[in-house]
Amino acid sequence: MTSSDSIHKLRDETVRRERGWLIASLVSKLGPSNVELAEDVAQDAILKALSIWPYKGVPDNPRAWLRRVASNAAIDRVRRSARELGVDDDWDFITTEPDIITPSLSDPELDLMVLCCDPELSQKDQLFLALKTVCGFTAAESAALFFMSEEALSQRLSRARRQLKSRSGTLARFPTRFALADRMPQVMKIIYLMFAQGYLPRRGDDLFRVDVCREALRLSEGLIASAQVKGASLHALHALLLFQSSRQPARTNSAGELITLDQQDRALWDRDAIAQAFKHLDAARADEVVTRYHLEAGIASLHAQAVTWAATDWASISRLYELLSQQAPSLAVFVNWAVSLMMLGDENGARETLATAGSLSNAQSFPGYHLARARLAQHSGNTELQKRALNAARACQTSTAVDDHIDQELNLIE
Amino acid sequence: MAKFVLMLPHAPDRYQNLGEAEFMDLMKDYIGWVEDMTAKGKFEGGEKLLDEGGKIVTNTSGTIEVHDGPFAEVAEILGGYMVINAADYDEAVEIARSHPHMKYNETIIIRQTDASADE
Repeated sequence: MTSSDSIHKLRDETVRRERGWLIASLVSKLGPSNVELAEDVAQDAILKALSIWPYKGVPDNPRAWLRRVASNAAIDRVRRSARELGVDDDWDFITTEPDIITPSLSDPELDLMVLCCDPELSQKDQLFLALKTVCGFTAAESAALFFMSEEALSQRLSRARRQLKSRSGTLARFPTRFALADRMPQVMKIIYLMFAQGYLPRRGDDLFRVDVCREALRLSEGLIASAQVKGASLHALHALLLFQSSRQPARTNSAGELITLDQQDRALWDRDAIAQAFKHLDAARADEVVTRYHLEAGIASLHAQAVTWAATDWASISRLYELLSQQAPSLAVFVNWAVSLMMLGDENGARETLATAGSLSNAQSFPGYHLARARLAQHSGNTELQKRALNAARACQTSTAVDDHIDQELNLIE
Repeated sequence: MAKFVLMLPHAPDRYQNLGEAEFMDLMKDYIGWVEDMTAKGKFEGGEKLLDEGGKIVTNTSGTIEVHDGPFAEVAEILGGYMVINAADYDEAVEIARSHPHMKYNETIIIRQTDASADE
């Protein structure tokens, strides 16, 4: 990556953040039935702001500048629409923002997130909507993220917005504050999936999309910081995302190739992130309720504590996977459970658990499944079987397997 | 170090039918260039002119006439100007050559400011 590429990427993130913030602020004024209008106005405003930038030079505080110029442009454009729609056109929302670089979610952003996580929409549509509106990804950026055509993504988004609109009707105000508690599990799930979308190895130019992971982290951190939201499980989710993020520096070698957890140089792990994660894991114990995020964060914490792959507390990990398989059974959970059993020396248990995994749909196109088979075969000295399993895994990598399994767990055998 | 003004004209409809992604890429190139020039101490500042509107005030035999823009009949309109630092016209031309405006448009007009009254 050249330095100009990295500047572009940083700029993209700044622009996205501000676009998301603008959309949320506008929706809070225009009402939930006008998400699309808010998106259009925000995008126009951002483009207008950016077109001035080259002439004025890059400001000392690009974010504050962008927000101010774009907000003014948005206000200009939306006043007319607001009058036509009969909503309040008192646009003082710009000056009420005390700290423009706060990591926490503003109330409008939180509202919008809750609005996007409508249980009537498919999970993928909720994720698309959240990325597009709350996180400010353009249609082209979201499409690239999911390896879709921009047109296909836009059509899906339009359909999702129509569905939202048909339910929120012409309400000028959010009904979502009431839905907050109900929808919180879904909001968390979408943040989790967003993180996975950036964290799991991808085909294409970028192996990971750290920017997408950061966005998910921002949302989970923002939820914790929000006075309106309570719940220890939020801390569990945030701890999980932090534990996973802490390994990021060790997940590629200098050639940009994937390094799996068992091979990683643990000295490269981000100790600050791990320390933060442990604090959140402590806070997650405040509730009696044990969610899948508690279990997954627990597993991740055991990896974080282990000095080596071999010296990992596999007994505790396999117990946690067993619990997870009851609460949130999935292909990846069974696969990882099997690996932990294998590391414990329980080959029969591992074989049985892998057989369960293999009976699930999509197992054949899931690289993690074949990699686990390969490990087990290697363990028992069956080189022929190991080779076949590895070839099957490699065949998956060139398919859309990673996409298909995005709904699977994070704790892949990386 | 002398100051030079770079005037950046473009076709009147240059940005009207541009796709969003294309426009963003174009802006990123411009912004990247400005960052680069700012880091080298070459960029002084500038102004973007509004695409819409514009007036021409003329004195025809003692009568002042005012004409409204836009001036659709002209081949190019001025999009804005930038002020740069350069030792001489040679350097100013070199800087203009590297300008993304030369990739996306056709013309840059360079004029040196008259600094004789400056300190």
